[in-house]
Amino acid sequence: MISATDLRLTFGKGTPLENPALRGMSLTVNQGEFVTVIGSNGAGKSTFLNALAGEVMVDSGQIIVDNQDVTRLPTHKRAARVARVFQDPLAGTCENLTIEENLALAIKRGQRRGLSGAVKKQYLERFRDSLSSLKLGLENRLGDKMGLLSGGQRQAVSLLMASLTPSSILLLDEHTAALDPKTAAFVLELTQKIIEEQKLTALMVTHSMKQALEVGSRTVMLHQGQVVFDIAGKEREGLEVKDLLGLFEQQRGLKVDDDSLLLG
Amino acid sequence: MLSEIAFYGALETGLIYGLVAFGIYISFRVLDFPDLTVDGSFPLGAAVAAMLIIHGWNPWIATGAAVLAGMAAGAVTALLNVKLKILNLLASILTMIALYSVNLRVMGRPNVALLTEETVLTPWYDLGLAFHQVPVLLFALVVLVALLLLWRFMKSEVGLAMRATGANPRMARAQGIATGAMIVLGVALSNGLVGLAGALFAQSQGAADVTMGVGVIVIGLASLIGGEALVTPSSVIRALIACVVGAIIYRLAIAFALNADVLGLQAQDLNLITAVLVTLAIVLPGVRNSVVGKLTRKKA
Repeated sequence: MISATDLRLTFGKGTPLENPALRGMSLTVNQGEFVTVIGSNGAGKSTFLNALAGEVMVDSGQIIVDNQDVTRLPTHKRAARVARVFQDPLAGTCENLTIEENLALAIKRGQRRGLSGAVKKQYLERFRDSLSSLKLGLENRLGDKMGLLSGGQRQAVSLLMASLTPSSILLLDEHTAALDPKTAAFVLELTQKIIEEQKLTALMVTHSMKQALEVGSRTVMLHQGQVVFDIAGKEREGLEVKDLLGLFEQQRGLKVDDDSLLLG
Repeated sequence: MLSEIAFYGALETGLIYGLVAFGIYISFRVLDFPDLTVDGSFPLGAAVAAMLIIHGWNPWIATGAAVLAGMAAGAVTALLNVKLKILNLLASILTMIALYSVNLRVMGRPNVALLTEETVLTPWYDLGLAFHQVPVLLFALVVLVALLLLWRFMKSEVGLAMRATGANPRMARAQGIATGAMIVLGVALSNGLVGLAGALFAQSQGAADVTMGVGVIVIGLASLIGGEALVTPSSVIRALIACVVGAIIYRLAIAFALNADVLGLQAQDLNLITAVLVTLAIVLPGVRNSVVGKLTRKKA
């Protein structure tokens, strides 16, 4: 379980560029939930995810993961509990390292690292098994440099890396946004499969309202650094993009003018 | 032509600079941390080893102390960067400048002679080898051991974490790697190797001098870049071998240039030759690639 309470964060405080990114954001994600997060540009989606991961420190508020207060912990100390896939397919892996070395880094996520060999023989079978589930033929290319793979392949491997060791929450930051439509569909399908099979708790930021409704078990919309609505279960079933927009206007008394949300 | 003594001399210095190149490989290549501390940690290693030796310490223990001193210098640079958020290049320049004073303090004077002292080389002269071959043999062993240990380390869990830190720090943090600690460890390790090189250099040359560090960074980089041009560094072991090959070829090239009468070069032209060699080493791989590219395109 992960719970964020009244998170506040302002970038560039006291400067002309002052930008309040989070203005009292609160959200609790229960064990096994798959939450999709939508919101227009500047709604605070990425900042919220970065705050949960520890990449940015909030000004005030509290973040609790599995009953532990992690609000002041840096990224690497949260990594045992928080797994992450980035938007940029190049960001989640090291291109100069081989596929097996990248996986070996991930299998030790959040654990102590010692002086024993990183790529251990007993890992290899597991690496091959996981990679073969991608059906990309990567199981025979363990020694290849990551940089030789395409963006979609790298994103698929990033996803695999994030699910190699157990986590309390998996953060997905628009992880299909930088891919072509066909590859994006493949990675999204893979995401659903992995989350379902391993019963992961996940938070997926997306730019597409359609995707937000089709995937996952709960949808949260952010606006101006706050949660404007939060729907799950029966209420969410059969909901369409236009219903979401209606909900948003009803809540806020304003019109959505961000075309990308409508088109997505 | 090169005399036998000049040839072995170039090998000997080349091997020592191979250690420097290892250090620079760790900072510049593995960690992507441009570190100029080496211009200070090289004479620091020499000074520490020399002072301990003239005070009667075992030369190997003195050399070990030089490694630790170099590591401490590297750690200072890394901490200035990681904790105080000073730009890495500037942090290393600050340490380098500070070390000039430290080195004078350590020695108490600008240079210390070791000619009559027992050094790590002394017992090896009894083996019956020619005088100029002894340092080459010993330093080759030291370089080999360092190379194998480094290779093993870079393949370990911590070593892999260090390589990830330099290649993709955001990803490294997300994997639970304390990137700050990795930078401190890596830069310390790098300067420890340079301290070792300084200590061996002082013992083979018979003196430690406060100015002996000037330009070490350029020679180390020349060795690294030259080696990479000759041995494509597609894996850790190849990158490490490239360091040694580059350092030895560099010293041999310098020796040839100075010995070839037709060129009319003299010792004072050393730095000019270095700059030309570094430029060539940087430019040539690109030229080679474009030539190879043209050839393969014609074939296709």
